[in-house]
Amino acid sequence: MKGLRWILIVAALAVLAAVPWFGSDVLVQFGINALLLAVLAQGWNIIGGYAGYASFGNSVFYGLGSYGVAIAMVQWELPFAVGMVFGVVLAVAFAFLLGLPVLRLRGHYFAIATLALAQVMIAIVSNLSIAGQNIGLVLPPLNDDRLFYELSLVLLVAATATVFWLTRSRFGFGLIAIRENEEGAAVMGVNTTLYKVLAFALSGVFSALAGGIHAYWITFLDPASAFDISLNVKMIIMAVFGGPGTVLGPVLGAFVLSTVSELLSSEITSVAGLFFGLVVVVAVIFMPRGVADLMRRFRTTGWRYFVENLKAHRI
Amino acid sequence: MDLLAQILINGVLLGGLYAVMALGLALVWGVLNIVNLAHGAFIMLGGYLSWHLYTYLGIDPFLGLPITAVVMFCLGYVLQRGVLNLIVRAPMFNTLLITFGLEVVLTYLAQLAFSADFRTINPSYAGSSIALGPVVVPVARLMAFGVAVALTVGMWLFLLHSRLGRAIRATAQNLVAARLYGVEPRHLYAMTFGIGIGLAGAAGGLYGTVSQIDPYIGATLTAKSFAIAIIGGLDNPLGVLVGGLVLGIIESLTVLYVGATFGDVASFGVLVLVLIFRPSGLLGKTA
Amino acid sequence: MSAVLEITNVTRRFAGLIAVNDVSFTLNQGEILGVIGPNGAGKTTLVSLISGTLAPTAGDIAFEGRSITALPAYQRARLGIGRTFQIMRPFPGLSVLDNVAVGALFGHGGGESDLARARELARAQLDFVGLAKFADQRADELGGPSRKRLELAKALAMQPKVLLCDEVMAGLNLVEIDEVIDVLKRVRERGISILVIEHVIKAIKSLSDRLLVLHHGEKIADGDPDAVLSDAQVVEAYLGRRRA
Repeated sequence: MKGLRWILIVAALAVLAAVPWFGSDVLVQFGINALLLAVLAQGWNIIGGYAGYASFGNSVFYGLGSYGVAIAMVQWELPFAVGMVFGVVLAVAFAFLLGLPVLRLRGHYFAIATLALAQVMIAIVSNLSIAGQNIGLVLPPLNDDRLFYELSLVLLVAATATVFWLTRSRFGFGLIAIRENEEGAAVMGVNTTLYKVLAFALSGVFSALAGGIHAYWITFLDPASAFDISLNVKMIIMAVFGGPGTVLGPVLGAFVLSTVSELLSSEITSVAGLFFGLVVVVAVIFMPRGVADLMRRFRTTGWRYFVENLKAHRI
Repeated sequence: MDLLAQILINGVLLGGLYAVMALGLALVWGVLNIVNLAHGAFIMLGGYLSWHLYTYLGIDPFLGLPITAVVMFCLGYVLQRGVLNLIVRAPMFNTLLITFGLEVVLTYLAQLAFSADFRTINPSYAGSSIALGPVVVPVARLMAFGVAVALTVGMWLFLLHSRLGRAIRATAQNLVAARLYGVEPRHLYAMTFGIGIGLAGAAGGLYGTVSQIDPYIGATLTAKSFAIAIIGGLDNPLGVLVGGLVLGIIESLTVLYVGATFGDVASFGVLVLVLIFRPSGLLGKTA
Repeated sequence: MSAVLEITNVTRRFAGLIAVNDVSFTLNQGEILGVIGPNGAGKTTLVSLISGTLAPTAGDIAFEGRSITALPAYQRARLGIGRTFQIMRPFPGLSVLDNVAVGALFGHGGGESDLARARELARAQLDFVGLAKFADQRADELGGPSRKRLELAKALAMQPKVLLCDEVMAGLNLVEIDEVIDVLKRVRERGISILVIEHVIKAIKSLSDRLLVLHHGEKIADGDPDAVLSDAQVVEAYLGRRRA
């Protein structure tokens, strides 16, 4: 049974990796977007799904990664790989400097503080001349979608492997304990401050790498798009839709929602946005624990699953 | 010195408007324990409603405010009764998420219905102003400020002295308490949310007379409202008024001394700092 | 007998209220010390001060001769101080086994780094407190009495030197109380020193080597259980009211 699961996973990966060789340009471009969104959802899963801190600031990491690559390549004429490292350094520095005070907050306060940080970053970057102020930066173009696709896939595998490791490591158990009961975790010996900051940084590293790849692929970035808060919301929705705190849920959520959104946006762009909003509203009401939980329980409870979720939270 | 006085006046006038924006958010948060991320989108809708009343029916934006507020109240009541009551007992994160979903839906609906162009409500007196010595006070802003203060004080009196207001305050402590006032909780929650959204609608109408409206202003206004609620605390509308004034003045000073593009940095920076150092609000005891 | 825990002139104020007022006592190696007192006497605050979830306003707490007053809760846990919560707070979404495994993974000395080994240790603790058959259930599906045992198993999995029990017997029936008393006595046989906070006087009298009485945050008696329970001040402050 376990062997079968691994065979399936390897087969699925092989198919995914082969897409650029048989798929159309449009499919590959859609694939890059979907893979990067899945990386973001998986990255958010570490701090939001495992440690239980609903971060609205992960788009900051994404923006720092984008600008790390852009500044290194445009202003300093360094190679892409160095830019990626620079972006990661920025993200980790941000996670430690601002994570320490902000991660002391809980619930709404943490969520909104991170939201505000994202807004502050837009304004700060808009005023930095090295970052091209509010005009942005144009990167040297590299016309190789196959490379961007495979890079994104490798990053997603790395992020997912990291989350898988969380489910069977002391570090991961510490994060789950923090999510479930922070004070209880502390009196059992979990260094909650350190663990939260590490989770925030780890989550940030993947977001920054995704941002770096995206910047080089799109070859253009400005503050409003690099630190776009709706991107942060997208990753949360994908992770929550798929199942936060599970290994494959966020990936599944990202793939499903990207696909539906793509199908809809070929009709009218606003309709795709509307759809996202409606999915969130309906999903929170009827399946608040995500698709992963739905699949696990639906078999035994059937349609009553939805009614029970409803009954549990209404007045 | 004259410039500083002018900036302070601008800040105070802006701050009054900010207070009404935040009032509904603070009320809903304090009583229902829902941080309504769609709050700014409701302000936006109120602005559009006011704009339509003025543009197509010729109703003065200030005289039209009650209409806007009542329509938005009804929308809020229905939304709480039909949707949000289904999830009020869900974990905090789910309530955040669902209101964000609402914000997205409202934004895109507004974009479909009203287009992405920005609108301004320009009554005949929009350009006129009163000179107080060296300081110039725009009439529209002054009127908006007056209405804002009146609404805030009215809200304070309502919560303190009316039967429904007292039931709402009791509910903020304990849902069971609402039953002691003989109010059905579902109805009470819907009334509270309706009042919150009605206030947001009125704030939107006022906002339209002093600034521009487009479908995307919601997110920023939500964040500012949140900042004000944090600074002022959730206990008392008068605290929210102080919070609004503080933010309005800080923003105006930042624009003058640091630069126009730093206005938002100031308000969000203040928010983060307050959260870090005084998580229960500058004035509030239990936020 | 050497002192494991030394509490010296510890005070804790909450806005205007003194929860613990200038309390001093010691917990000796291998001893079971009972702490009793009416509601609001400051018992739970005392446990929180020792475990580090609250900081004292004044005074010093020493563990094995070293001051731990400035240490955060997790470092005290790693030194070997385990506690249970009166308001039981398991990790609700985790299985009973994994709840206990967290104690083994962290806990005294930094804990066991291998998850499989930690789960083995956790299973042993579940056996010890009699919860083995619930190992795979979610913790929030346990009934009240079982949760009390889970609290104990979680703390024990940390391999502590000192165990602080905050009302582990409240709400249990007589049979269940006897079982917990038996468990605690066997814990002591492992060389673990125990501080037990309790409401149930009969239970604590038969369990404790020594009894300490708190009243309005102050220590009003400390000594042999029989002597303390017949002390006039204690009878008036606490028992008298109950018997009346």
